[in-house]
Amino acid sequence: MIGPVRPYVVTGGRSRPTRAELAVESLVNAVPRPPELPRHVLLNREHRRILGLCRSLLSVAEVAAHLGLPLGVAKVLVGDLWDLGAVQVLPPVPQAERLPTTLLEEVLVGLRQLR
Amino acid sequence: MASANSAEAPADLPAGPQYLPSSVRGAVKILVTGPFGVGKTTLVGSLSEITPLRTEEDMTAASTGVDDLTGLGGKTTTTVALDFGRITLNSRLALYLFGTPGQQRFQPLWEDLSRGALGAIVMVDPRRLNDSFDVLGRLEEQGIPFAVAVNTFPGTPSYPEEQLRSALDVLPDVPLLFCDARDRRQSYDLLIDFVDHLHRSSLLELGG
Repeated sequence: MIGPVRPYVVTGGRSRPTRAELAVESLVNAVPRPPELPRHVLLNREHRRILGLCRSLLSVAEVAAHLGLPLGVAKVLVGDLWDLGAVQVLPPVPQAERLPTTLLEEVLVGLRQLR
Repeated sequence: MASANSAEAPADLPAGPQYLPSSVRGAVKILVTGPFGVGKTTLVGSLSEITPLRTEEDMTAASTGVDDLTGLGGKTTTTVALDFGRITLNSRLALYLFGTPGQQRFQPLWEDLSRGALGAIVMVDPRRLNDSFDVLGRLEEQGIPFAVAVNTFPGTPSYPEEQLRSALDVLPDVPLLFCDARDRRQSYDLLIDFVDHLHRSSLLELGG
């Protein structure tokens, strides 16, 4: 942790996503018919912009860039929507066993085909 | 469709989102790092299937090595632009390429980006190798696999590989690659060589 960071106004002062596993390359998609929000929950303008943007699959980083938000802020807001069940998040490809050979092979084959 | 002059276009007005195919199940990432002005954005642009995107990150840089209980000592806030691109590798998997400065003062951003990365391509300018020592040291420390890529735009003097290696003081198993980052084919070859290296290293680790 690096001392006090500029407060993130739009996230209500939070600078950490509620779910640690959200990464900049996590893929996000708005849920077509989201569950009804609890009465006390108020989505802010940025939340609604994210829902509008994520009609189809984009990474958290792309959400940040398209909405002009820093990455950390986008992560928190996407995390909020995830907690509410309003977006679906595909986890980054699991790296449990460091550098799985099959994954690297898949990347390599893909790149060679695109070259 | 594609906007002209995309490299210089302000990233707050991109052409509109270019969505991934809905069949994609996950994404991996590779960092493109190195000092300012070395060509990271150019390389990302040559490889990316989408107009490269940009975020502006506020950095609160703490003075290094000082206990920070007061929260006052020597802090400055700077903004750093982060450029990234995307390659859809197949119907299930996407690759993101993040161009990021690697210097110590961008620590929070670095940690966020490097977590889970397959590896890093460190771009170097042979005329100012010193600028790359910081990031090379950090990658070695963190155990992130990397390759060194010399950006060979015209006017760059050519140095013998051995001389570059010894000046950079990298281990023999670190690939030293050459590439004109403006050229798509060369940039692809660079990326393929790097991933091939990662793949072969992982096979060795398996004890094959």
